[in-house]
Amino acid sequence: MTDDHPHHGDHDHDGEDHGHHPKPKLDIERRVEAIEALLVERGLITSDVVDAIVDTYERDLGPMNGARVVARAWTDPGYRARLLADGTRAVGELGFGGAEGEHLVVLENTGDIHNVVVCTLCSCYPWPVLGLPPRWYKSFAYRSRMVREPRAVLAEFGTALPDDVEVRVWDSSAEVRYMVLPVAPDDAATRSEEELAALVTRDHMIGVAR
Amino acid sequence: MTSSSPPDGIPRRNGELVFDAPWESRAFGLAAAYVEASGGGWDAFRAHLIAAIDQTPTAPYYQSWVVALDRLLAADGISTSPTG
Repeated sequence: MTDDHPHHGDHDHDGEDHGHHPKPKLDIERRVEAIEALLVERGLITSDVVDAIVDTYERDLGPMNGARVVARAWTDPGYRARLLADGTRAVGELGFGGAEGEHLVVLENTGDIHNVVVCTLCSCYPWPVLGLPPRWYKSFAYRSRMVREPRAVLAEFGTALPDDVEVRVWDSSAEVRYMVLPVAPDDAATRSEEELAALVTRDHMIGVAR
Repeated sequence: MTSSSPPDGIPRRNGELVFDAPWESRAFGLAAAYVEASGGGWDAFRAHLIAAIDQTPTAPYYQSWVVALDRLLAADGISTSPTG
């Protein structure tokens, strides 16, 4: 261990007894610990289950799933049609599903239409295909501004759209989760699904990139 | 009120950490584990989350998340916490 000990004690006993600037636990940290202790004590959960869930969301769920869906849609017209008709079922074909994916609607970008997704009330997001939302998606600024001035916000993301492209903003509700199907690259037909998936980012599928 | 600059610095890559601190991931995992265990689905939790965010729109997201979890547990008759 170095003498600097820069970690804030991920799992150490990080009390207030270190020589350097002590870092007392935040109220919120104590509160979360208390909730866990209570739920474990009541036999409702185990800490191992919580560990496993966190691990899944940190590692296994993420935009790489959605990217595979997009790449399949770009290379298989039949799949694309099924995806646009019933997103939940079509992503299920690739093995993706679960919480927050029960009513998935896929929005197709075209040369004339650009779709972008927001959740104005909280942070609704299609977990099975995109994982958990990035910090900015949950921010007050994004939630409040994307509906009011989408072109300005998109420009700040580096996505300045020509005036003749219609911007459609989709506000996720308690029922529906959205994912954007970006426009395929011109040479999609000559490329492998894996190559294509590597081109697709989370921002494309939220719609803040084009 | 945040400025007109992109919220929180725009990440342009995939694979960023979704949690900023261990307590955030714990709070997420606790809610998910409880929702799963209770079998009630996410709707009730989401309603509390929406209300918590509405009360303090600029509060850090996972702070509202913890408030929502506290209230859900209280509503389910589980919480013994004097707060919330």
